[in-house]
Amino acid sequence: MATEDDAMITSQTTDDDSTTDDGPIAAAAADNTTAMQPTTTNNTRPHISWCDSYSKAQSAIDSLKSIIPHIPASLLSSETPAFALLHDPEIAIQCSHLLRQPDSGGGDNNLCRWFYDTFQTSVPDLQLVVLRFLPVLAGVYLSRASLHKPLAGFEAVLLALYAHETTARDGQAVTVCIPDISHSSIYHESTQTLKNSATELNMAVITPSLEPHGRVRSTRRARIVGVALELYYSKISEMPVDSKIEFCEFFGTWAGEFGNNYDQPGIDNLRDGQNKNGNSRGGRINLSWELLQPILRILGHCLMGPEQVENKELREAASNACRALYLRSLHDINSRSILATGSLVKMSEELTDSFDHTEIAQTNVISL
Amino acid sequence: MSEGDESQEIVQPETDPSARQVCANGICMHTTVVEAKLDEGNIQEAESALREGLSLNFEEARALLGRLEYQRGNVEGALRVFDGIDLQAAIQRMQPLAEKQPSKKGRTRSDSVHAVSQHAASLVLEAVYLKAKSLQKLGRLNEAAQECKSVLDAVEKIFFDGIPDVLVDNKLQETVSHAVELLPELWKQSGNFSEAMSAYRRALLSQWNLDNECCARIQKAFALFLLYSGVEVGPPSLAVQIDGSYVPKNNLEEAILLLMILMRKFYLGKIEWDPSIIEHLTFGLCLCGQTSVLAKLLEEVMPGVIHRIERWRTLALCHSGAAQNGTALNLLRKSLHKHEDPNDILSLLLAAKICCEDRFLAAEGVVYAQRAISNSEGPDEHLKGVGLRMLGLCLGKQAEVSSSDFERSRLQSEALRSLDAAIGLEKENTDLILELGIQYAEHRNLNAALRYARQYIDATGGSVLKGWRLLALVLSAQQRYSEAIVVIDAALEETGKWDQGQLLRMKAKLQISQSLHTDAIETYRYLLALVQAQRKSYGPLRVAHQTEDNKVSEYEVWHGLANLYSSLSHWKDAEICLGKARALIQYSAETLHTEGLMHERRGEFQEAVSSYTNALLLEPSYVPCKVLVGALLCKRGPKMLPVARTLLSDALRLEPTNRLAWYHLGLVHRDDGRIADAVDCFQAASMLEESDPVESFSSILS
Repeated sequence: MATEDDAMITSQTTDDDSTTDDGPIAAAAADNTTAMQPTTTNNTRPHISWCDSYSKAQSAIDSLKSIIPHIPASLLSSETPAFALLHDPEIAIQCSHLLRQPDSGGGDNNLCRWFYDTFQTSVPDLQLVVLRFLPVLAGVYLSRASLHKPLAGFEAVLLALYAHETTARDGQAVTVCIPDISHSSIYHESTQTLKNSATELNMAVITPSLEPHGRVRSTRRARIVGVALELYYSKISEMPVDSKIEFCEFFGTWAGEFGNNYDQPGIDNLRDGQNKNGNSRGGRINLSWELLQPILRILGHCLMGPEQVENKELREAASNACRALYLRSLHDINSRSILATGSLVKMSEELTDSFDHTEIAQTNVISL
Repeated sequence: MSEGDESQEIVQPETDPSARQVCANGICMHTTVVEAKLDEGNIQEAESALREGLSLNFEEARALLGRLEYQRGNVEGALRVFDGIDLQAAIQRMQPLAEKQPSKKGRTRSDSVHAVSQHAASLVLEAVYLKAKSLQKLGRLNEAAQECKSVLDAVEKIFFDGIPDVLVDNKLQETVSHAVELLPELWKQSGNFSEAMSAYRRALLSQWNLDNECCARIQKAFALFLLYSGVEVGPPSLAVQIDGSYVPKNNLEEAILLLMILMRKFYLGKIEWDPSIIEHLTFGLCLCGQTSVLAKLLEEVMPGVIHRIERWRTLALCHSGAAQNGTALNLLRKSLHKHEDPNDILSLLLAAKICCEDRFLAAEGVVYAQRAISNSEGPDEHLKGVGLRMLGLCLGKQAEVSSSDFERSRLQSEALRSLDAAIGLEKENTDLILELGIQYAEHRNLNAALRYARQYIDATGGSVLKGWRLLALVLSAQQRYSEAIVVIDAALEETGKWDQGQLLRMKAKLQISQSLHTDAIETYRYLLALVQAQRKSYGPLRVAHQTEDNKVSEYEVWHGLANLYSSLSHWKDAEICLGKARALIQYSAETLHTEGLMHERRGEFQEAVSSYTNALLLEPSYVPCKVLVGALLCKRGPKMLPVARTLLSDALRLEPTNRLAWYHLGLVHRDDGRIADAVDCFQAASMLEESDPVESFSSILS
């Protein structure tokens, strides 16, 4: 019924978009978004042979050579180049450093172009490499969004991620049904239905439906970055720990700073970068729910995820981030985020239960 | 230390409990010699020592040795001992025992697992389990998981109807419970998340006869894994689904379900209270934005488990997160009572925030904010700016209902002072910048308002619609209509189609102010198409983004169009639009207002007055109609002048910046011969004319 009106409005959106000109990459991104709908079926199931993805990864590394000063030899000879690229610490340091440069976000920035091209190869392993740098990219981008700096390069990458996610979800919203404990469920001990009257289950929208965007309209910026972060979260178990730590470290800046209630190492790089340009703004950003929600999910993982038990550095970074975010929610008096971040803070303070319940009882009398 | 031969090792069970002993077949012996042999790496000798001492068979002796090594912390040794037994073969041998009879279907099956085979099973399974534990301790997690899994596979083969409650010896049950709990942990530690997920489900969905605490631990661990692992594996398989029961579709649903079940188990007294469960549930439900569900769960918690003040405070947060501010405020009043925790700064700030949105609560909010400010010391000092901001907002709101001009301007200046002090402490708080802009605009300090509106757009990178709207409104108040339209057009450029409603509405009004009537009609048409498309496609799943709570309604569009047509004297079109508006909201002061205006313009004064009066009956404080009735009565001759004067003064009490009210009051004074008063009124009207925005400034915050 509504499809006609929808079509009217969407087609106008895309018409507008093709006329805007934000540099070569952004235009390419626009084309991609416009062309996205009809090619849905092709994109979701890319048929890529191993050989194909190997050569694509090799060529990605080749083109990276011209962008960053030093590529470790182990990477060039690796049999799984995409995997090696994802986990190479030296590459990570160099790319993160380049991303934090004052002029890194321009439409003609080579690294952004490399990210964009690499993501568009549709090789899942290479896409992971791009996602690995999303924390720094999104972090620098959001902190600079109000500073009138060229950002077309960042935006092209973010739009590519957004378009990818839009296609994958077919633009649909993600919802959950909040369980009602009075309904019997697979985990109930008694199988009989306690109440079979069809009481309405609570439907909740986790993330609303997606519309195609050909460029970053400023009021949709938070949403586009938020969706990119949702994509990051969906791959988070494959991300190297350093990437997650980088993510956590942005919160000192993003949340704004309040007294000495927490100390935040590692964010100095970014702030220095800004200060050099004569700008004293701390980079505090507007944390709307569309941005905050994926952030909370990622932080929850960094704090409580399965592999975090051993990784102290990540836990530390994540609990600092949670504290910063909690203080920020207090300043915003935002009830929902006070509740969510407050519970994260309490979890981070709580010592993990070190008692091993699967250990057998230690007795001096061992009997058969 | 007894260094004698083996015969001396055999002792009675009651002697010396501190030394390690092994017992079997009613005999106990000290392990010193056996341990010494093990230390020499001589497993076989140790084994034969045990076999002779306790009259055991080979497997029993090995199992006992393995356990001894394991308990001594020598896991590598334990592994060597266990490697000597062909555990898989032993398991194989056990299965026929169980499988001989089951073909009969049902009843007799449990009898088949008689005591002897249970004992053997228990021995072998414990050995396999300890092998898995040893491998885990050596970091060989995948192998450990495989061994652990084989324990469960064996148990499933032996008891394939589930483990019966009775008839199982304790030790076997203990091993099974341990293995069930260990397996998912092993997969998780080895990074094999999808195996971990199915191990958890296997643990919880099959019959293992677990005790409550163990089952609860697994449920909690699984819930945490679902919430935080970031691995989405998909819903449980169809095989476990029972007709009519709820099956979670994704991680979040499954985690919330499990945590809710844990809460319930606590109420039923099955498990002990674990405060972290409520924290995880809070996190999960907040992610879904369902704080009202959380409120319900918190209300169900037994008294005494959570401290009442803590509970009130959390409940208040939940309700305010679900936009149930009245309930939230009532809870906060309880927790801020002088006998409870009157100085809790979070509660004070939240209460003040709720109050500042309602003009009749604003005075109460002022008190909360002042208390928050005086309590922001020590570690909470950083919240002082927030307190000042809330004080400013409450004072500004309170000014709206003040009884006198003097009072109002006092409150307004205090509000501004307080907000100014707040921005000194919170320079980067963009919300505060916007609020200052609005407060200055309300105060008709348009230059300051303009400065803050610009600063806000800069600071937010133009990402919030409110900023664009405030800038356009301030420009419109300065009569800079074409600039305002430029701002709106720029904002439209930066907005997705679905969020453009309010901008388009404002654009239409700006175009009307510029007498661009055809353009305005065009804008309204476009807005109408948008609103109708939105209504059709939004459905229950669609949640609008930042304009969620202040979407333009279809009614507003029809009403705006009716006003526009009526001002152009297109009576027929205006009537149609009014009809459409009435179909959406049958009784509304706004519709009657427009109707009255149409009558008045056509010279039908009697009908006009009755429309206005009806509007006032519907909404006694609807200012525009008060003004219009006053204006009409004023034309009815000197006898009506006192009535008109009362109505207009009343209108001005409600809305002191109403330009028309001042103008007509001026006319009344003039007709009554009070020229000086008339001059004052006209002056006020002319001043206000130069600062009248196309929509009220406060509409931005609503």
